[in-house]
Amino acid sequence: MVKTESRRPGNSSPAGAVTGRTRGRRPPSSGPRPTGLTARQRAAIWVRRHHLAPYLLLIPATAVIAWLILWPAAQIGLFSFQNYGLMQIIGAQPTQWIGLGNYSQILHDPEFWLSLRITVLFSLVVVPLTLTVGTLVGLLLARLGRKMATFVSTSALLAWGTPAVSASVIFAWLTDPDGGIVDWSLSKLPSWLGGGPHWAEFSWQNSALPAYTVLTVLLVWMGFPFIAVTVLAGLRTIPAELHEAARIDGAGPWRSFWTVTFPLLRPVFMVLLMLSIIWDFGVFTQAFVITAAPGNRDEFNLGLYEYFKAFTQPPAYGMASAIAFILTLILLIITVGYVRASVKQGEVR
Amino acid sequence: MGLRKRSAVLAASAAAAALAITGCSSSGSSSSSATGGSSSSASTSAAPSTLTVWRMGASVPEQVTWMNGVVDQFHTQFPQFAKTQVKVVWVPWGNRTQDWNNALSSGKNIPDITELGNTDTPTEAASGILASLTSNLKSWSGASDLVKGMVDNDTLNGETYAVPWFGGVRAVWYRTDQFKAAGITSTPTTWAELAADAQKLQAKFPGTYGFPAVTNDTNAFASFIWGAGGQIATQGSDGKWTASLTDPKTEAAIKYYVSLHTTFKVSPSKYIGQTELGNTGATSGGANEDFGLGKLDMYIDGPWGKATMPKNSVDMANVSSFPIPSQNGPDAAPVFAGGSDLAVFKTSPNQEAAWDLIQVMDNPTNSTSFAKLAGFFPPYSSAISNGVYPGDQFMAGFAKAALNGQTAPLNAKNWATADNGQYLIIPTMLKKLMNGASFDSTVAAANTQLANVLNTGNQG
Repeated sequence: MVKTESRRPGNSSPAGAVTGRTRGRRPPSSGPRPTGLTARQRAAIWVRRHHLAPYLLLIPATAVIAWLILWPAAQIGLFSFQNYGLMQIIGAQPTQWIGLGNYSQILHDPEFWLSLRITVLFSLVVVPLTLTVGTLVGLLLARLGRKMATFVSTSALLAWGTPAVSASVIFAWLTDPDGGIVDWSLSKLPSWLGGGPHWAEFSWQNSALPAYTVLTVLLVWMGFPFIAVTVLAGLRTIPAELHEAARIDGAGPWRSFWTVTFPLLRPVFMVLLMLSIIWDFGVFTQAFVITAAPGNRDEFNLGLYEYFKAFTQPPAYGMASAIAFILTLILLIITVGYVRASVKQGEVR
Repeated sequence: MGLRKRSAVLAASAAAAALAITGCSSSGSSSSSATGGSSSSASTSAAPSTLTVWRMGASVPEQVTWMNGVVDQFHTQFPQFAKTQVKVVWVPWGNRTQDWNNALSSGKNIPDITELGNTDTPTEAASGILASLTSNLKSWSGASDLVKGMVDNDTLNGETYAVPWFGGVRAVWYRTDQFKAAGITSTPTTWAELAADAQKLQAKFPGTYGFPAVTNDTNAFASFIWGAGGQIATQGSDGKWTASLTDPKTEAAIKYYVSLHTTFKVSPSKYIGQTELGNTGATSGGANEDFGLGKLDMYIDGPWGKATMPKNSVDMANVSSFPIPSQNGPDAAPVFAGGSDLAVFKTSPNQEAAWDLIQVMDNPTNSTSFAKLAGFFPPYSSAISNGVYPGDQFMAGFAKAALNGQTAPLNAKNWATADNGQYLIIPTMLKKLMNGASFDSTVAAANTQLANVLNTGNQG
């Protein structure tokens, strides 16, 4: 982010860059020549005159996004107003338009409110925790020597690179009531450390609080490396003189972080915060394994709630689409809030 | 198209005629099936290259051997399908509805034949995904001896959508050597005795638990409700369901079952949220495996549970069974009359071949040999009345329990939705109670939810 800013004065707009390149490729004989132009050349002139080049270049990416994201999203929007289920898919019953029926049913479902509560509380804990741990590791990496930094960042990135299912299964085993190392260790701990024999065979998956405690540790473990590496990249862009000046003025690490590092990296932190919220709000795979879904319906988060509305007997794809829409709406509100805040602070240019 | 169809019919009926002539002496069922088949062959192609069968449960060697034998018989009895490959897919019980739905909605990997739990059949039949077998059954020699109650369960508005394949009941498993060592001379016949014996065993064998109060196994828990004289739900003559969880008798059963964990402490918290096999959809890690490993002194399961016991299990020679006790004895509690059916998917292009394979799988000889393999009871009245398991100690408790079976409301049209689909009403209620939720409000909420789901398919 900061890098972009420093390059900015000499940077031309994307459109300008593209037309410049197009001009460069043209034959050296310049000047408008109404006759003797090939169809290709005429098309190129037309494109240039109407400033269409950037849009043409965007077409491939837009097509892929439209096909993979926009079209399914539009369908989900459509299904959310229909009684779309198995019978409608196999054609046994006609698809009916039911207006806001799905939405009102969801808003009257106590399971929805429970899963929303779990999702929000979980995000409120995991997002700050991941950001804090990640930032601390990032600051640590900046201070370490080259070899040590490579070692630490490699180890951390291994956690990040572990497939979600593998990581979840490993954590489920660690916390297994039958011979899981976590229960065993806790039961061996002296009682003044919170341990004791009551931890032996403690089941972490059969109520929401223990299950989401395990999930919190798992997601922080999987999430902090990305934050750390991103923060490290940000730190490298801060000129060393700034920290040096702060140190000479007598600022300790704490003060130096909040008066120099944080304000400079604020855009980076804002992006990381947004991404973390989106990830932790929609976490599915890890929650599926750790809560032993679908046997524990009172431990659903919004992702699990949506999935099992869609795929358990009787499948209610319309209802699940409505939940997906609500989930998107919530995240959209958060994102819009973020963008507004950023615009006010003059960070988005 | 019309021409091709017609020639297919001709070919099929020619094959059927040939079979009827040559096959007369071999067996009655095959000749009658061939004629039955030709009547429905108009909509099917002659010989499919593969026929997909979904079987429920874990793929264990004995079952695979049995199935291979049946496929061989199918190829000899129906030579027109001699080249048809039969593909068997094993679906864990906990995943079955989801897998059916996913196959149907994606249109991929749809089975031709599926095994269904007898509680699933009314739901799936009502949803219109099964082919009607009524005309096939009429011309099938096996049909007349099928247990009538089991066929009725598969019949909706006069059409039969599945054939009963086997029946099964649950009972309490225990180990005779442990009972002897703990000084228990007779198996418990009341709830108080059951809890006391569980505590005795747990004290005698440290590191084990006495009796698991598994929450996600309503098929077993129902016996406690019925054993107190209560009901889960009852259907009025107008077809409307009334939930009975708040009935004092039912409440007594709920209280007792929860107290196995909270008061008697014979069941660890591990089993909260689990089926008898473990997490929903898993086939290990639950009470079944723990009993096999000697970590549990008793548990409720059907005889089929033997198949999923781990290799290093306790000596099965000592394992025996007794019927689930009622509240005050001396008679055992009514038990859920479970079982499986075989059905053909409506979308299958191989209706004729599918039905022919079902006839072989479900003929009296094969269904009896299959039933004995897993500890089930065949669906034939004559076989049951002759006594399927004479002198078998382990099967004695199950045979006794089988005399007192009940299915309703576990075969209600919306039961699958209420108990293992969109809602896990009774499991979640038990779970909340074991985790310390207030009794009256939790049970009342579950009761309202159950009535709504049974009547409308959603909680309203």
